[in-house]
Amino acid sequence: MSEIKVEFTLNDNKESVVVPAEERLLDTLRERFDLTGTKEGCGVGECGACTVILDGEAVNSCLVPTAQVDGRQVRTVEGLAEGDELDPLQQSFIDHQAVQCGFCTPGMLMSARALLDKNTSPTEEEIKTALDGNLCRCTGYKQIVDAVEAAAKKEERE
Amino acid sequence: MMKNSRQNASNRQENFGENSKKGQKEPEQVLGQNVPIGSADYLAPESLNKALEYRSRYGYKAVVIAGGTDIMVDYFEKLPEVTSWLDLTKISALKNIEITREEIIIGSLVTHLEIARNEELKKYLPLLAAASSEVGSWQIQSRGTIGGNIVTSSPAGDTLAPLLAYQARFVLASTEGEREVAAEEFFVGPKDNIMEPQELLTKIIIPHPPENTISRWWKVGKRKAMIISSLTMALLLEVNKNDRIQSARAAYGAVAPTPLRLESLEEYLTDKDLQEVELKKAGNLAEEAISPISDIRGTEEYRRQVTRDITIEALREMQQR
Ligand code: FES
Ligand code: FES
Repeated sequence: MSEIKVEFTLNDNKESVVVPAEERLLDTLRERFDLTGTKEGCGVGECGACTVILDGEAVNSCLVPTAQVDGRQVRTVEGLAEGDELDPLQQSFIDHQAVQCGFCTPGMLMSARALLDKNTSPTEEEIKTALDGNLCRCTGYKQIVDAVEAAAKKEERE
Repeated sequence: MMKNSRQNASNRQENFGENSKKGQKEPEQVLGQNVPIGSADYLAPESLNKALEYRSRYGYKAVVIAGGTDIMVDYFEKLPEVTSWLDLTKISALKNIEITREEIIIGSLVTHLEIARNEELKKYLPLLAAASSEVGSWQIQSRGTIGGNIVTSSPAGDTLAPLLAYQARFVLASTEGEREVAAEEFFVGPKDNIMEPQELLTKIIIPHPPENTISRWWKVGKRKAMIISSLTMALLLEVNKNDRIQSARAAYGAVAPTPLRLESLEEYLTDKDLQEVELKKAGNLAEEAISPISDIRGTEEYRRQVTRDITIEALREMQQR
């Protein structure tokens, strides 16, 4: 059976894997790299729990065949913190109690990260648009939007 | 959870193994020509010519994938059954946006996000830019392509009503050459179009709308970032200095088996003073011209009512602009 060699950058490390053509990036991350921060909710692009950043844009990793990330950059929630220091978004989610069960959180963080990397001072509306594709069944979203807003302000100051 | 998904992953691989054996042989036997098979299961050519060669050789046997936002959902439970993939994402020639004096030419692999963010497209083709910015979520927009939206041919495809309203033409290429098809002639039924298995959609060509064009885009759906809209409308009027409507194009999505233009409404609007358009009459014409179905996103009755309401509302806004 024919497998494909895929070379890509994962959280700043050069990686190389051999995968079957139909393997999803979500499975590659979780099963081959043990990066289980990325979650599977729906598997069909509706919940955003599997969101990662591909070449600077938020994508649903459940809809990306791993073969397609050849030569590209992937960032997962595990790549946010630097050593012991949390990403300002992560700290802000904690400070604003934007996490309850936590299942949606990695996806929320990655969508928010993709936004802030492009737009350092988003309006509330822009934050909501960026998080449109992420479902949370616990928090009611208010805390999440607040957390992103606060993190953006903090990052702008720094 | 973890254990399960591990199992799924390995099941998938095993199944895939069986199928891929078939996949490697069949195209060879049936269509065997001189295209080298590196990895028969995953074809990711960098040139369009190579892609067309594969397409003529594999036809429907290779599932064409670009952004994957439709294909990966359609094949969610059947991924292992796919014997060959034809991945277009490495073909940079399909990713350009070109603006000439007469036309705007968009490569089929341009993503919704690229269209939504492109300042020139926002200026020249506001209906398309707005529709692209409302496709699914950001995650979907960053992967989904305009070509994919067209080729999937869902009556609810968000960009289709704008493309009809702009009188877009689609360039279909094969190893035999190219042909151009008007958007209106392309769609023939739900998820069905006139494309042949050896063809690929390469470009979307849109003539510049005249300067005195005003337009309205409307999307009605249940959840804002839900993948599928229950109704779309792209209304475009060419209005002269004296407020006379010189031409009208009214395109609707998810109200019939294909996206469609409502000729009766267009005829009614053409050559009328914008201020003298009877809103009720226009609403009624729109409501009568569609043939919606009832499904989980809305009943037939609901779709007729909404079509009427948004038509009236859009025209009212245009009168008061
Ligand atoms: S698991 Fe990918 S969007 Fe839900
Ligand atoms: S915290 Fe539980 S789903 Fe969001």
